[in-house]
This record gives sequence, structure tokens and C-alpha cells, in this order.
Amino acid sequence: MTRPGGPARRWMSPDFLTELFSNPLDPGYADAAARRAREGPPTGWRRTVRRTTAIVVAGLIGVLFAVAYRQTVADEPRRSQARAELVNQIKQRQEATDELRARADALRDEVARERDAALGSGAADARRAAEAATGLRRVTGDGVIVRLADAPREEGADRGEADLGRIFDRDLQLVTNALWASGAEAIAINDQRLTATSTIRKAGGAILVDFRPVTSPYEIRAIGPRDLGKRFEESAAAALMRRVVDVEHIGFDVHREKDLNLPAGTEPVLDYATRPRPSPTPSPSPTAASQSPSGGG
Amino acid sequence: MIPALALVVGVVLGLVFGPTVPNWLEPYLPIAVVAALDAVFGGVRAKLDGIFDDQQFVISFISNVLVAALIVYLGDQLGVGGQLSTGVVVVLGVRIFGNVAAIRRHLFRA
Repeated sequence: MTRPGGPARRWMSPDFLTELFSNPLDPGYADAAARRAREGPPTGWRRTVRRTTAIVVAGLIGVLFAVAYRQTVADEPRRSQARAELVNQIKQRQEATDELRARADALRDEVARERDAALGSGAADARRAAEAATGLRRVTGDGVIVRLADAPREEGADRGEADLGRIFDRDLQLVTNALWASGAEAIAINDQRLTATSTIRKAGGAILVDFRPVTSPYEIRAIGPRDLGKRFEESAAAALMRRVVDVEHIGFDVHREKDLNLPAGTEPVLDYATRPRPSPTPSPSPTAASQSPSGGG
Repeated sequence: MIPALALVVGVVLGLVFGPTVPNWLEPYLPIAVVAALDAVFGGVRAKLDGIFDDQQFVISFISNVLVAALIVYLGDQLGVGGQLSTGVVVVLGVRIFGNVAAIRRHLFRA
């Protein structure tokens, strides 16, 4: 509230902000100057005390600045330290996972061996073939290697916009789908064997294959017929990838390779799907369905 | 002139000895720095205006820091510490800008 005819110095005028901008100095300095003019400068011990406190306060402010500076500088390594620690933890967990996986693989091998011993040799062979086909057993053979890599990052690139030079999960999906379509019988991405329930998806900036992160460069190894590479090169996915190479300079390279060794995939855990109980009434069995002509691709 | 020297000496002392800030004081440090900057620029401007006053300088610094700290403390208790800190920084920032503009007018006549 401003009082009409009040003192010229108002504490709160309607446009307080304008006032604040136009007259930022403490009125205290002017008041003190006026008082000094009225009463004369302070003398004797008073003057000394005031002088000293002002000097002490100025020193304090200096210390404050220095401390704040040191604090800010000291915070930086702490931040990167925390980051390094997290990275370390992730690596440790990954190692632990790898170890457990290796153990699971060894145990699985053992189980398979025992089972093969228990079964007759004919049944064991059939089982092994089925496992190899479904991706649960190591396989070897001739095929192709498709290499995909993120485009080299130019310095000072804007990180805000979507980086189109990166390999996306759908690129990997496209390539693997095209490989399957070209007749591949077994595919592994960076040593992650694809099975019937494999997923290739994105979480944050990382691509996960079966929930395990894979990073650029991506090496997709596929075992298939002799003309697998040729058929893949003629596919739409390969054409698209070549376009992306031209535009975004990602790495893309296909070449034939002999004696590829593909690891076994992880055993799918079926929580909900169970084998149907054999029913007495004849129902459309899976074999009958597969025998019927499929309606195109 | 002597306070300016004291300021430099304080900076050097702080850098050399590097006192550690207790944890409970840490949130107030940035606000204290801004409040101190306001007091310093206010003092420099008053000096150039020829009305510098030791007592006024001391009081403005102490009250700035105390009020700023109080506001931040209250804000922390109420759960709006960040917003109130922003408010303090904006108000003091406006004052700093105004004072610096006045200093610039004094020094460069522009």
C-alpha cells in the first residue's frame, strides 16, 4: 500500500520489480552517508572497530568464495567416482552372470550326457538334432558374418537429437529376419544364440538380446545354405542397410565364412505354456497344420 | 581499498588451508556465496558513489547471509527448498546486475 503524500522512498510500490531493477543499492548506504553528513564521521575507537570488522568480513567473504570454489571442484571427482563405481558394479554383475551361465551350460551338458547315456543311441541322436535346430546346442557349419557398427561420432555432435548413426534394435531385427528368410538355420548376435523365444529390444540406449546387453560393433553370424550370403544381399533389409550406410555412414559388411561355431542359447523357461495332454478325440495336431500349405510369407 | 585487499587475502587463505565445510552447512554454501557477491558489489558501488560505509557493509553481508540461509532452511523444512533457493538467487541476482551496471557506468561512463 502506498500512502498518498507519503515519504518519497516507498518500500513496496505497485511495480516493485521496476523499482528493484532501477534502484538496486541498499538505501542503507545513502542513509549512512546522510547521517555522516549530519553528525560528522565517526572518530576514535568506534571508527577503528568498524574498519576492522569490515576488513574481517571482507576476509571472510574471500574465504567463503575460496571454500565454495574448492567444494565445487571437489564435487566433480566425487561424481565421476560414483559413476566409475557404478560401471564397476555393472561389470562385476555381468561377470557373475557369465560365470553362472557357464556353470549352467556345463550342468546342462552334463545332464544331456547323462540323458543320452540313459536313452538309446537312436533317441539321443534325434534329441541332439532337435536341440541343435532349436538353438539349445552348439552348432557348427558354413555361413555368413554380417557386421553392423555405429557410425563414428563426430566431435561436438548434438546429443540432444536422436542419433540416426546408431544401430537400432529394429536394424538388428530386420537383419536377423532377413537372414532367417534367406535360409539361415542358426543365428547368433555377438555370441548370443537366437532361439525361438529370443528377443531383440531396446532398453534406454542399450540393445538387449535375450535381456543381455550387446554393444557395437554387432557381429551377426548365421549358418545356412551356400547362397545364404547372396540371398541376404538381395533382401530388402540389406538394401535398406546400404542406404543407411550411404546416408549415416554406419558400418555394414557381409562376408562368407567357413566353419562358424555358434554357441548354445539359453534354455527357454516356459512358465505358462505347457504341453497339451493327449486327448482321445482327434484334433488338429501341429503336424497336420504344418502339412497344410502355408499361406505365403 | 583495504577491504579489497582483505578479500584477496581471504581467498588465498581459503585456497591454502582449504577448510572443510560441515555437511549440514553444505546446502547453504551456494546461497551464502550469492549473498556475499551481492554485499561485495553493493560495497563496490557505494565506494564508487563515494558513500561507502564500513558498518553498512558488515550489516548488509551478515543480514544477507542470515536471511538467505533462513529462507533456504524454511524452504527445506517445507519441502520447497529448491524453489525458495531459486527465489533468493533471482532477487540477489537482480541486485547484483543492477549494482554491476552502476559500477560499469562509474568506470566507463557508459
